[in-house]
Amino acid sequence: MASRRTITIGLDGGTQKVEIQVPDGEPPIWDAETRLNVVGQSVRRLDGADKVTGRARYTSDIHLPGMLYGKILRSPHPHALIQSIDAKKAANLPGVKAVLTFEAADSFARLDQSEDSGHPSPTPSSPSGTQARAGRRILFAGEEVAAVAATTPEIAEDALDLIEVRYDILPHVVDLEEARKPEAPKVYAKGNLPSPSVGGHGDVEAGFKAADAVVEGTYTTPVALHNALETHGAVARWEAGRLDVWASTQGVFGFRDDLVKFFKIPAASVRVQSEYLGGGFGAKFGAGVTGVIVALLAKKALAPVKLMLDRHEENLATGNRPSSVQWIKVGAKRDGTLTAIHLRSHGTAGIAEGAGVSGPVRMFYSCPNIKTEEQDVFTNAGFAMPFRAPGFPQGSFALESALDELADRLGLDPLELRKKNYLETKAKVLMQQYDLAARAIGWSRRRPPAAVPKNGEIRRGLGMGTAAWGMYGEPPADATVRIGSDGRVECVCGTQDIGTGTRTAMAIVTAEVLGLGPDQVQVILGDTGTGMYSPASGGSVTLTSILPAVRSAAEGARSKLLEAAAPGLGAPPDRLDLKAGRVATKDGARSMTFAQAAGRLKSSVISAQASRSKNYEGMGDSSWGAQFAEVEVDTSTGQVRVLKISAAHDAGRTINRLASESQINGGVIMALSYALLEQRVMDAPTGIVMNANLEDYKIAGPMEMPEIVPIMIDAYDVANNIGVKGLGEPPVVPTAAAIANAVSNAIGVRVRDLPITPDRILALLGKVKEA
Amino acid sequence: MARPARKSGGRKRRASPGALTRRAFLKGVGIGGGAIGAGLLAAEAPRPAAPANGGSRTHGPGPVDVTLTINDRTQKVRVEPRVTLLDVLRDRLDLTGTKKICDRGECGGCAVLLDGRPVYACMMLALDARGRSITTIEGIAPKDGLHPLQQAFIDRDALQCGYCTPGFVVAAKALLDRDPRPDLDRVRETLAGHICRCGTYPRIFEAVLSVGRRGRPAVP
Repeated sequence: MASRRTITIGLDGGTQKVEIQVPDGEPPIWDAETRLNVVGQSVRRLDGADKVTGRARYTSDIHLPGMLYGKILRSPHPHALIQSIDAKKAANLPGVKAVLTFEAADSFARLDQSEDSGHPSPTPSSPSGTQARAGRRILFAGEEVAAVAATTPEIAEDALDLIEVRYDILPHVVDLEEARKPEAPKVYAKGNLPSPSVGGHGDVEAGFKAADAVVEGTYTTPVALHNALETHGAVARWEAGRLDVWASTQGVFGFRDDLVKFFKIPAASVRVQSEYLGGGFGAKFGAGVTGVIVALLAKKALAPVKLMLDRHEENLATGNRPSSVQWIKVGAKRDGTLTAIHLRSHGTAGIAEGAGVSGPVRMFYSCPNIKTEEQDVFTNAGFAMPFRAPGFPQGSFALESALDELADRLGLDPLELRKKNYLETKAKVLMQQYDLAARAIGWSRRRPPAAVPKNGEIRRGLGMGTAAWGMYGEPPADATVRIGSDGRVECVCGTQDIGTGTRTAMAIVTAEVLGLGPDQVQVILGDTGTGMYSPASGGSVTLTSILPAVRSAAEGARSKLLEAAAPGLGAPPDRLDLKAGRVATKDGARSMTFAQAAGRLKSSVISAQASRSKNYEGMGDSSWGAQFAEVEVDTSTGQVRVLKISAAHDAGRTINRLASESQINGGVIMALSYALLEQRVMDAPTGIVMNANLEDYKIAGPMEMPEIVPIMIDAYDVANNIGVKGLGEPPVVPTAAAIANAVSNAIGVRVRDLPITPDRILALLGKVKEA
Repeated sequence: MARPARKSGGRKRRASPGALTRRAFLKGVGIGGGAIGAGLLAAEAPRPAAPANGGSRTHGPGPVDVTLTINDRTQKVRVEPRVTLLDVLRDRLDLTGTKKICDRGECGGCAVLLDGRPVYACMMLALDARGRSITTIEGIAPKDGLHPLQQAFIDRDALQCGYCTPGFVVAAKALLDRDPRPDLDRVRETLAGHICRCGTYPRIFEAVLSVGRRGRPAVP
């Protein structure tokens, strides 16, 4: 059943009324005309004190009585058959309580249960060809071979040294271009080139014929590693057939479901908790091999086991952002109107698929003729996992670079070129974001690139990029709000706070509905035992999925509280309001405190549960954003310094301004790091990762920080009862493109490869040979 | 300095020569402690005097008793000599605020104060911390409250997932103890040995500067 309601959408100062279909039972919709007290303010994180004092317990901090320490032995070879594993000596080492070996042909396929709705499986199931062979085939250096649990971490490490593995070493390929050749060693029996993906609309050849200017170029991006600071890992305990797990995961429910599937036990027998998580960025969906191994070790050892990967393992076998080689051709009329975009790309996600990059080409601009051709290439390297806006930082780098090149060719301002090809949608806020971020950087100072600089010159440049990310939040998601007769308020959802501020956002919405302050709400999350489902925190879906359920639950609790208070205030519930910690008649004549009202409840606690409704039809445009960068390039050393980045974004209705600005800063910084520093380096002859640590895999630190101006705009595009959208991925999308454009603007030569390292700058300037 | 190659174990060893472990490194070169920041190395305090017999004493390889003074409390643990201060804090004494992130002196997540100066606890054997005063993140706040720096981190939202936060707080406190009014460049340089993957640096700078200015920390 559904009813029709009229709501106001748009931006402050530019709203319109629309009629929409709304599922029955939806509370009054927070739209552009709704003024709220707590939502949208800057609210300190509720878990701040726990985090600054070291009290917050992450998975890595869990200690259980009698707990053992697990460790994993990994293959040093990128491609090999396991002939045998002899673990007798390890099993006999005093202190060792369990040893597992994975030599059977199907052991790996069986271990890897990872699946997460909306994300590609990290490893294509059943590598064909392995079954015919005697032993298990290792597909990349770092794959799990055996595992132990022991009374101390040191003994567990010693035990690994005692395990003897005999391998038949097979030819391998880790280089992207080598892997495409017909004679390359095959990662899978069917070869290294799965079916390409082709998309688009119109006729690009006709589009290029109609163009006054055409640019084309090939752009490359490296494999990047997530490197969340807390590594993958879990603590598992079996008791009376029940499995309790504490896991470093972005999805407690997905993690649980993987274990349910593997051990073939009822979901009610498995509980997964993750109260605090030290970052994930897309690499921590599902139980994965690590999660299954720790539960297996605990089962075999008859004791709780903790297994946290070390940094080296984290960088071999837990995911990455695939590489890309993108050839892009863009045509436009003299006035900048796009006539055609053609993108042809290939990249490697290691032994998995997921190297697609066409999102930006398909989503960002209005263009009548678009063609995309994308090819995954298998290599004997660690599998990719979704990494914050999968495919988008890569795709935006090529597209936005080509647009800047086109603008320079046509003698147009790059910003004007983008505005010329603006894609109109309902309630879109991008035009305002362009203007605000451009003003913040001082875009009017931009000049077309000058001639290649003379030796020793320090040059400055300006560049920009657009961001977009779809609105993927949806049901199912459940929440409960409880009010105790002592006035205690609890908001419960099984979801996880991966550092984005989910806990605080749940409290903000509950507090808004109940007329309280956020710190008066206790939040319970990170626990499948709550029974309140949440999707995994990826794709910018967490708040968009759960907050509408939280709000409905809070509204239910509010109704029950008002009913209890009504007799004492001599007014019916619909004549009462909850504000500033008081229940009052609407005329303000009579009131009582929230605690007094709670004291009139007829039971010790009232509880309201709600589930998220589906998105309102016709609503739910992407989140948009625009970023501008100013850089300084030392043309004698090739060093690039980012001076300033302005970043305007929206997440529909802003929930917590403070945390949202932090999210923008964080996306910008992660992408700055990607643009200038990060790349996984593999040694082709040995097939191993050369920089699986935080010294050689360089991540931006305090010295690389530019000034960042985060700008949050509210856009009332109301697809749910709050109008909230996601903000996790958008800020990471355009930064590398904006920086590359700024560098190209500074030196007068187009940057076509990430990361933008000093040697590459010097090569572009003709000072050294191509690296 | 050339890195000691890890004892080659052929096929049974880990995946790459990059897999140098912190423990192998410590065992190989006998480093005592990793002071954070170049400025601190220059100000390295004198090491404790050698044993009276003038020679080195051999510990282990079995477990030995180690007495440590942590957050003004004396604690005794029995561990193998190869165990780092970080692992003793986390695994034996349940002081888990100090984080293990890279385990080889690259990220600052395990910063603790040793006689008031920040060091990487992953780069120091527990044995070498005997006789020193160790302050962990758990020892920064006064009873029933927060250190002004901790409050400033909360007020400025200088934390996201929070995993790097203890290391930053410890290092920043050491800075403010030495230099109560640092400027931005000084704050950056002092914290240069720390990594935050969520990208919270600008707000960490703001938080540290706000306390340095003795201004009242507030939501910006």
